[in-house]
Amino acid sequence: MKYEMVAGLETHIELGTNTKIFCNCTTAFGGDPNTHCCPICIGLPGTLPKLNKQVVEYAIMAGLATNCEIARVSKMDRKNYCYPDLSKAYQISQYDMPLCEGGYVELSNGRKIRLTRIHIEEDAGKLIHDRGDTYVDYNRGGVPLIEIVSEPDIRSIDEAKEYVEKLQLIMKYIGISDCKMQEGSMRCDVNISVRPQGSQTLGTRTEIKNMNSITYMAKAMEYEFNRQVDVIENGGKVDQETLRYDEVTDTTSSMRGKEDAHDYRYFRDPDLVTINVTDQQIEALKKTLPELPNARYSRYVNDWGIPENDASLLTKYKKVSDFFEAACDGTENPRTAANFIIGQIFRTLENDSAKEEFNVAITAQNLNQLIKLLDSKKIRMNLAKSTLDKMLETGKPVNQLISESDMGGLDDATMLKLCNDAITANPNAVNDYKNGKEKAIKALLGFVMKNSRGKADAVAVERTIKEIIK
Amino acid sequence: MSEISQIKKINNMLTSKEISCEELTKSYLAQIDKVNGDLNAYVNVTPDIALASAKKVDEKLAKGEDISLLAGVPMTLKDNISTDGIETTCCSNILKGYKPIYNATVWNILKEQDAVLLGKTNMDEFAMGSSCETSCFGGAKNPHSFDHVAGGSSGGVASAVGGNIAAYGLGSDTGGSIRQPASFCGIVGLKPSYGAVSRFGLIAYASSLDQIGPITTNVEDTAIIYDAISQYDEKDSTSQGKKGCSTCEALKKDIKGMKIGIAREYLEGVRDDVKEAIENAVKVYESLGAEIVYFNLPALKFALPVYYILACAEASSNLGRYDGIRYGYKTPTYENVNDMICKTRSEGFGDEVKRRILLGTYVLSAGYYDAYYKKAQNLRGTIVKAFKNAFDSCDVILAPTVPMTAFKVGHAASDPIETYLTDICTVPVNIAGLPAVSLPCGFNPKGMPIGMQLIGNTFCEGTILNAAWSYENKVRDSVFKSPELGVKL
Amino acid sequence: MVSHDDVIQIARLAKLSIKEDELDALTGEMQNIIDFADTINSAAESGEAFDNINNLSNVFHDDVVIPSYPTEKILENAKDVADDCFLVKKRCD
Ligand SMILES: [Mg+2]
Ligand SMILES: [Zn+2]
Repeated sequence: MKYEMVAGLETHIELGTNTKIFCNCTTAFGGDPNTHCCPICIGLPGTLPKLNKQVVEYAIMAGLATNCEIARVSKMDRKNYCYPDLSKAYQISQYDMPLCEGGYVELSNGRKIRLTRIHIEEDAGKLIHDRGDTYVDYNRGGVPLIEIVSEPDIRSIDEAKEYVEKLQLIMKYIGISDCKMQEGSMRCDVNISVRPQGSQTLGTRTEIKNMNSITYMAKAMEYEFNRQVDVIENGGKVDQETLRYDEVTDTTSSMRGKEDAHDYRYFRDPDLVTINVTDQQIEALKKTLPELPNARYSRYVNDWGIPENDASLLTKYKKVSDFFEAACDGTENPRTAANFIIGQIFRTLENDSAKEEFNVAITAQNLNQLIKLLDSKKIRMNLAKSTLDKMLETGKPVNQLISESDMGGLDDATMLKLCNDAITANPNAVNDYKNGKEKAIKALLGFVMKNSRGKADAVAVERTIKEIIK
Repeated sequence: MSEISQIKKINNMLTSKEISCEELTKSYLAQIDKVNGDLNAYVNVTPDIALASAKKVDEKLAKGEDISLLAGVPMTLKDNISTDGIETTCCSNILKGYKPIYNATVWNILKEQDAVLLGKTNMDEFAMGSSCETSCFGGAKNPHSFDHVAGGSSGGVASAVGGNIAAYGLGSDTGGSIRQPASFCGIVGLKPSYGAVSRFGLIAYASSLDQIGPITTNVEDTAIIYDAISQYDEKDSTSQGKKGCSTCEALKKDIKGMKIGIAREYLEGVRDDVKEAIENAVKVYESLGAEIVYFNLPALKFALPVYYILACAEASSNLGRYDGIRYGYKTPTYENVNDMICKTRSEGFGDEVKRRILLGTYVLSAGYYDAYYKKAQNLRGTIVKAFKNAFDSCDVILAPTVPMTAFKVGHAASDPIETYLTDICTVPVNIAGLPAVSLPCGFNPKGMPIGMQLIGNTFCEGTILNAAWSYENKVRDSVFKSPELGVKL
Repeated sequence: MVSHDDVIQIARLAKLSIKEDELDALTGEMQNIIDFADTINSAAESGEAFDNINNLSNVFHDDVVIPSYPTEKILENAKDVADDCFLVKKRCD
């Protein structure tokens, strides 16, 4: 029998605010242990939380960017469980009135992964286990998170990967998180079950906790899918349980026994007041949202005629896309800028994260100037390409690398002289051409181009040479 | 006429150089030495801190600087109000040795005005109790009779103020913890409107019910302290500060025509001596020109179970943090992290605290939430509305503070439910977030004080203190009797 | 009816350990308190919706960093500390 995967993701994303969700300590990543702490975030008796306004706004932006309905009234609840990384023995989160509901993320295959909700909550501290001892650092305790819960709409590992990448990209575009999985600022819990292909019922699901890389998430899902299929094929039943994925052995295992089944005893946090959101606020936040990656992609492909592959490379990184937009500004053909970026600039960037960072010596304005020189035919493509390389190397602007005389093009007399020089210097090529070897003309053309330092117009040169030889 | 207000009297003595603040403070410290063994009011006396503040006040006076009304006045704080560097235990073994690294907002306000902190006072463990006897230090005694309890949970403050070893004190009131001990000790205690006084730094019992308030020997001092501490605090999201004018200004207005309401339910099951004292108080109000209106408040029937469900639910969550890791007691032997936490809590908390944590955990747990917590929350809404309606027909509600007088030491602990019943008159106010002041209104034949409370609409502290002051002014000599103890000003 | 198992389960959630010999008494006590709490279920009315006591909304802090506390202060009240962290040893006898 063939089996189908049914998966839903709970994605925790750390928000890029300056301060924690309930106090004014910094959210800066790292730092020596317990240096970003105050009485509030270590839960000293008598302290009280106060909600960070920016957290609410960022969460609303996340909701708007993923087509959610924004709740006009919401509140904060306590999720009670006792664990050393939780300084108050409860996490302040949202239970039955989340800030955002509904919504979806659209995948490239056209499927929409529906979102159940997006809510705000606080992160826990960090536990470091060493030889059985537990060291507790609360620097991350109280850092704001949004939790994005999807419906079980994901049907394959590829869809799961794309969904996570899309979320990541959207959040980066709207600027509310850097979504660095390796720094833990984005983590996923995967709810996964299997069912016979074609079946409409849901199987028993397991939850794989805390995936912090897309690669391992994919591996864990693959392992867990196969494991569940094996269990069913062997006549067994899948237990509903919480699992941990071991990267070394590439297996999942149960995180806790049945007897510690959680009962979070959610109730409204009496220390915090109602969150009311007005239509005006939502409208104002909507206006701050940039064009989102999917919309940009379609515009590049449909309006600008960029090939699909190039369009997805350009939209994959917010900084690249912004650079591309600025480089195109006022130019005639966006494909020129696209080719420069993908062909030449990307070659200087080793990997994904370098492209992400997009630390290049050239500014978008400078590239824009270069393209405009091309558009106005002041320089030729060859010169443009070599100049771009120099720009990437030196960081110098166009006008320091190309002189006025270079930009002037070639006057007709000089071109004629160079063509005649070419014919004199390459008698063999001339003969070959006359004997019907069309390609021989290239040698003559090359001679002119080289001696004009790329300034000659290749089409005009070819025409002139042919006329002389004829 | 001699000054009734202890605070004003002390201020006069200091500014007229009749006594130095250091001398005054030393006389309080000496009396604490003398009588605290009997009263067990203070669990931590802070002479160095008190004398340092006193010296500062004396220096200001010597330089001819103006001092605030509260400057140099020796006072005390309940031991659940956080004081930077000064042990704050909630009278629980689990917090012994804990020294906060920040100040409660109320203490910052008073410190700013050069208050002289004599020490921290006794209370029921985590404010859970009505006799002060769940304290890990043993209960505070009643200054009118040492073999009676001071009441609870702010028993230590009431005992110290009633026994004249503090001019005033701050307590906290979650279900009557200021008013009940004030009533037992024959003094005045105000539970402010929810949100009037910042809770920042008050170690939480039940966050939606807790309020800090003053305990004093007379109504005017209560008004003075309330005016000082009822400030908006940006650190407390539920804080609003005082609404309207200074209560001190409203204090001495004529109450002719004021409508005083009596809800019949408050008098059910009240002991005869208490009922008689209340009836006498009603007569006093009539003689002052107030209009008495009677009505029913059937919603009160459920106030007590609603209170215990909500308070314990919140407490079970608020007290989860005592795990031995960051502060407080940590068990010396354990097998693993979970074992460490369970042992620490089981060894550190007393029986009543554990009982309330268990009840609170139960009413919030899956399957029981709707029948208990949610239902109680809805009935809370009903009680809020019932009071709102009542205040359409009256200005203040007069009721007993406690259905009885102070019980004998050791009598409270036997049956938890019976103990809970003593809170029946005080909890409705906390549930509805209203202000209420308890003040003396007589003595029983054995000489134990009887208290009554005046309940006002939200943020109408001015009205209830006006009514309270008018009563005190009329009958002061017969019902406000201080025992022969402590400092005589 | 409150059973022994209920009390054990609740105590586990509340992180309290209960000794075998306390269980009977505690179960009885819990039963009494629950019976008392149960009186609210005799209320005819379902009640009024309750939000927060003064119906407050939108109280926020600005996203501006205030310096944190020195680590020594943060750790000052902890029984066991190592490497600037709160420490729970593997076991302790
Ligand atoms: Mg969560
Ligand atoms: Zn903090």
